[in-house]
Amino acid sequence: MLDLNLELRQGPFTLQGPLTLDQPVTGLFGPSGCGKSTLLRAIAGLARPQTGHITLNGEVLFDAQRGIHLPPHHRRVGLVFQDSQLFPHLSVEHNLLYGFKRLSPKQRRFTLAQILDLLDISHLLQRRPRHLSGGERQRVALGRTLLASPRLLLLDEPLAALDEGRKQQILPFLRRVRDELRLPMLYVSHAINEILYLTPHLAVMEQGRILGQGPFLEVIRQDHILGLARSLGLENVLQVTVSRHEPDIGCTTVHYDYHELHLPLSALPLGTPTWIALRATDVALARQPVTEITIQNQVPGRILDLRRVADRIVAEVDIGVPILAEITVKAVHDLRLAEGDTVYCLFKARAWHYLGAA
Amino acid sequence: MWSSLQLTPEELSALGLSLKVGLWCTALVAGPGILLGWLLARVQFTGKAIVDGLIHLPLVLPPVVPGYLLLLLLGKQGPLGHWLYDMWGITLVFTWQGAVVASAVMALPLMVRAVRLAVSLVEPRLEDAARTLGAGPLRVWLTITLPLAAPGILTGLVLAFARSLGEFGATVTFVGNVAGETRTLPLAIYTYTQIPGADGPALRLVIISILLALAALWLSELGSRRVERLLGK
Repeated sequence: MLDLNLELRQGPFTLQGPLTLDQPVTGLFGPSGCGKSTLLRAIAGLARPQTGHITLNGEVLFDAQRGIHLPPHHRRVGLVFQDSQLFPHLSVEHNLLYGFKRLSPKQRRFTLAQILDLLDISHLLQRRPRHLSGGERQRVALGRTLLASPRLLLLDEPLAALDEGRKQQILPFLRRVRDELRLPMLYVSHAINEILYLTPHLAVMEQGRILGQGPFLEVIRQDHILGLARSLGLENVLQVTVSRHEPDIGCTTVHYDYHELHLPLSALPLGTPTWIALRATDVALARQPVTEITIQNQVPGRILDLRRVADRIVAEVDIGVPILAEITVKAVHDLRLAEGDTVYCLFKARAWHYLGAA
Repeated sequence: MWSSLQLTPEELSALGLSLKVGLWCTALVAGPGILLGWLLARVQFTGKAIVDGLIHLPLVLPPVVPGYLLLLLLGKQGPLGHWLYDMWGITLVFTWQGAVVASAVMALPLMVRAVRLAVSLVEPRLEDAARTLGAGPLRVWLTITLPLAAPGILTGLVLAFARSLGEFGATVTFVGNVAGETRTLPLAIYTYTQIPGADGPALRLVIISILLALAALWLSELGSRRVERLLGK
């Protein structure tokens, strides 16, 4: 599908790295200002790298050595902007048809009716963009790009300008695009829950570099990405399923494998697979189960590894899945912890947070 | 002095000439003004500062200077004027066409400035969006840049027209003050003020000038409101 390796310098900023998209949807994740948008602009042809190449389905879009730089209007790569960029002087209908009407009927992959139905925007056709809400604008922008029949859909933080409620309204539409249109997508966000809602495959960027890519759990466990994961509180991420809610005691119980965990009350439907995360500093270890304590989760496991990192120790404990616990050197000495020991991992229910449905 | 509201033939001729010169000047300035304004707003090229300076010179020079330079360049003996006469039999000196050229030179910087500002206010990412939707550079220009800059272009055209109505120095220097040919309203007013006892006719032309200017402003206001509605503002 998409394969690139490039270097693009813009003033003091350098974007570089290899990236291969071979999944239906790949999330591009990284903190704000790390170069995600610039990468998308390079793929779309709006920015020209100094070196490297970009190929899509075997076609060369860019090759510095051979002097190839296909202009954006010949790439058929769709780009949805964070702030929609609808044409203010055109109605919604003419915005939607802007790319569509320039395609030969053979190139058109979708019909207007199909897109209107998919995104639920039929009632907006005659309106001007300024009369649309933020969520409506993004749906129209998405529809406009889809109707241009791109071979690859680039989404540049399409939800970042929306409030939480609106985000939850738009995300299902993106899932429908994924499932019904089968269009390869690169979804850029600094919100991991949005990405995980659409795909477990992601590439991670930091300061202009693509640090790695692959399935979520594998990627964030890579040593050079762990620092970033740590700064985002993503050292421990589990995929669990919701088993029951107990509103009267403010508790939701989830399970993974045969283990149960007690979490803060959530509104997720029963049986929903969901991602939950926990900071390594929020994990305590004990030799024995502790009674008379408010901590709700005590899960037995085996210490796989004790690694000294600066002034602290990162313990990796197998509780069915590997869990990282950050503890002091003193604690390890006091308990005489060693690799292979059995310990209990203590998690406060409220220390877990939900990353969103998987 | 108000004996008659009927315009005399001379007054009518001055008014008609002003309108004719103004409209032709506006038409002449439109194309180059839009292109140059866009060029200065969006394209980086070597010598941009020089082009920019040349266009704006008439705005800061005393109008007689461009008028005199036009005379040197386009007069019968001037290099370009000579050629125009030999090749096409065109004479600009002492003709209303020459007055159009003089007005256009003076009006161009105003047009260019208005267009440049309008184009620079068009969000470049709207053009980017159009490009990713499959529109080539010319189509982006025609369907996005130009329509969105339309209010500024309209303002530029009105300014050019108004500048032409008021043009005096460059015109009188380049094409003289020939009744019925180059004597536009300002030149006619000036002529009357030089004749003892002709305050009445001068004042009548002053009032006509004011009414004309008000009408132009009102029309442009109407036009820009219409354009803004079309742009969805």
